[in-house]
Amino acid sequence: MAAEQVLVEKTRRKLSLTLIVGGSLVAVVVLAALVSFFWTPYNPVQAFPADRLQGSSAAHLMGTDRYGRDVFSGVLYGARITLLVGLVAVGIALVIGTPLGILAGMRGGITEEVTMRGADILLAFPALLVAIMFGAVFGASTLTAMLAIGIGSIPGFARVARSGTLQVMSTEYIMAAKASSQSGWRIARRHVMPNIVGMVVVQCSVSFAIAVLAEAALSFLGLGTPPPVPSWGRMLQESQQFLGTFPMLAVWPGAAIAVAVLGFTLLGDGLRDRFDPKLNGER
Amino acid sequence: MSAKKNYCRLAAAAVVGSLVLTACSAGSGGNSSEGSAENTSVTVALTGEPVNLDFTTTAGAAIPQALMSNVYEGLVEIDQAGKIQPLLAESWELSNGNKTYTFKLREGATFSNGEAFTAEDVKFSIERVQSDAWVSSLKKKMDIVDSVEVNSDTEVAITLKQPSNAWLFDMGTLVGAIFDPSGVDDLAGTAIGTGPYEIDAWNRGQSIEFATREDYWGEAPTVENVSLRYFADAVATTNALQSGDVDVVYNMQSPELLSSFESDGKYQVLDGTSNGEIVLSMNNNMAPFDDLRVRQAVMHAIDRQAVVDTAWNGYGTVVGGPVPTTDPYYEDLNDVYPYDPAKAESLLAEAGAQDLDITFTVPTRPYATAVSEIVVSQLADVGINAKIESAEFPAVWLDEVFTKQDYQMSVVLAVESRDVLAMFNNPDYYLGYDNSKIKDLAAEADAADEAGYVDGMKQVVRTIVDDAAANTLFIFPNIVVAKAEVTGIPANSVTEALDLTNLGWK
Repeated sequence: MAAEQVLVEKTRRKLSLTLIVGGSLVAVVVLAALVSFFWTPYNPVQAFPADRLQGSSAAHLMGTDRYGRDVFSGVLYGARITLLVGLVAVGIALVIGTPLGILAGMRGGITEEVTMRGADILLAFPALLVAIMFGAVFGASTLTAMLAIGIGSIPGFARVARSGTLQVMSTEYIMAAKASSQSGWRIARRHVMPNIVGMVVVQCSVSFAIAVLAEAALSFLGLGTPPPVPSWGRMLQESQQFLGTFPMLAVWPGAAIAVAVLGFTLLGDGLRDRFDPKLNGER
Repeated sequence: MSAKKNYCRLAAAAVVGSLVLTACSAGSGGNSSEGSAENTSVTVALTGEPVNLDFTTTAGAAIPQALMSNVYEGLVEIDQAGKIQPLLAESWELSNGNKTYTFKLREGATFSNGEAFTAEDVKFSIERVQSDAWVSSLKKKMDIVDSVEVNSDTEVAITLKQPSNAWLFDMGTLVGAIFDPSGVDDLAGTAIGTGPYEIDAWNRGQSIEFATREDYWGEAPTVENVSLRYFADAVATTNALQSGDVDVVYNMQSPELLSSFESDGKYQVLDGTSNGEIVLSMNNNMAPFDDLRVRQAVMHAIDRQAVVDTAWNGYGTVVGGPVPTTDPYYEDLNDVYPYDPAKAESLLAEAGAQDLDITFTVPTRPYATAVSEIVVSQLADVGINAKIESAEFPAVWLDEVFTKQDYQMSVVLAVESRDVLAMFNNPDYYLGYDNSKIKDLAAEADAADEAGYVDGMKQVVRTIVDDAAANTLFIFPNIVVAKAEVTGIPANSVTEALDLTNLGWK
């Protein structure tokens, strides 16, 4: 008992580093997005042709792009798009995927089969492919990107929620609840949801990282946020032609994407270990 | 030269013979002929693939670019300097008060389906342009023809309704293409012309393979196989050149990449002129651009030199009007609407159009996306909020903007040669310019002598510019990057054709 206690303590302390690094990186992105609402050094979409393709300087921290737009302002503003897409996409997946997973886990039988095979089918399509289809059908916009990424993320949530629910359903307190003839809805609300919330939060963070990457990829392909609104993926795409001559143009948005993805992934890992130390041991 | 050709033929025959004799696999056959393949084929990289092979019913530059001069020929052709040269017609004479052209036709020319080329084909082709079979907006260029008389197999007399300077030039462009009556059943899929090449294979989404015709009437091209390969974007074309997959990148769409080729002796960079105008179109029939003052505001709001510098790395010529520098009636019209944001704002205020919200439909072409962002920024500076809506090119753009004319602002490269009247002297064209002011002027100019033609057309162009019918941002450069050993590349793009017939190797 004492030894086990120490092990848990030790694991917790070790995990904190992942959490701290992940949390800080995410905080940087969130801060950048918040700041962009109140202040950017320049209007990120305003071009100053005379100042085009400048390197880093006091006036332009990250230099300027081919049109003479301030890259730093663009990166700040891009954080907003990134977070917005991530939030909405994860929100969609959370709101649809989790209840489906819980339902499948509690009901079993045909409900479970239909839901989970549906999730499998959806999972067979990469989120990016769904997004490309959406972009082709409804036209490229931030909204279609968010919807597509969100839909693509539903199976992940459904699976996590279902496996969590299955674990919970086999516990004695559920037997007790069932024995006292509580309604399914009440069991889900009182017993299942509180017990799987940790897993779902972890899934949120991991999905967020995937969504950030997917948004960047979509914008890179011209299927995300339409120009001129700055988004990291498109900044990367626009810098492509200047890789030979002005490589820093690609480095800044690339670094921003890396920070965001790494941040949310580490945060997810850290949270997973914190919420579910058992899982950590099993790995 | 001919000794070399014979040698090549011998080599080819030897290869074929060995193939037959040993019945070896295609793979090893390919290997053994690779040395000569280098000299008998050229691969040209392009962006923007044709949707079909029928320019008589489908607008856009890609089809005539691939087919004119190579598969289809006209009575005359336009050379690299913009001059008219004989092709299927050996010579011609003017009579009847400059209204009747009598063409003496070349003997012995055949179509790739084996049919002989005769005066009947000329009559058929011209009358076909005038019929409903052609739906291209360029068909109007043939409206002026009153009658086509076949004097003999090798002589045809074409009478115009009035004398025309533009018509003979037009005969060297796609409307002058000569078709065979039995070869027009499937124009979208099969191209049958009198040209030195025929289409060997068309791999949709990838390439068009041309092979020389054995029975071509003129001098055979030096390379037997030319492949036009279509790429999604500019970077892909230059990557393909660097990796050796293609030999020529024609009309290179990424001037930022030029520096790395210019400094490398393995490549040659040709900086040619073109007939293409980058036109920022404003739908003259739709609010807010049905108001002259709003259009004029847009003319003043955009710093065209800055557009060239940022979007196209300084390549391209800022001219201020819809006329390329190679046209006889070209003049510099940059002074008409100088960059003046303050003036633009006051014009908008006068029109009661402050804080305008417009939709800017941008085709998915490199020049268009590059241009759109700087244009949006400069429009924002004067209080026009343009929302970019991307339209897949060519299909969606042609449908929404060009055909349905359901747009406010767009930007496109207009590549047809001497197309100023096709664009503006037609109220049904997607620009929607009311041509009542220029209609008579243009007709007079066309019927006048050459000096009168040039002066009259200048007046037409000035009127169009004064009316701010469209904002010509710049004349598109024709940049060609190729392996240093490739010869005979047409650097200037004077008509819509990409003439492959002179390509060769050093």
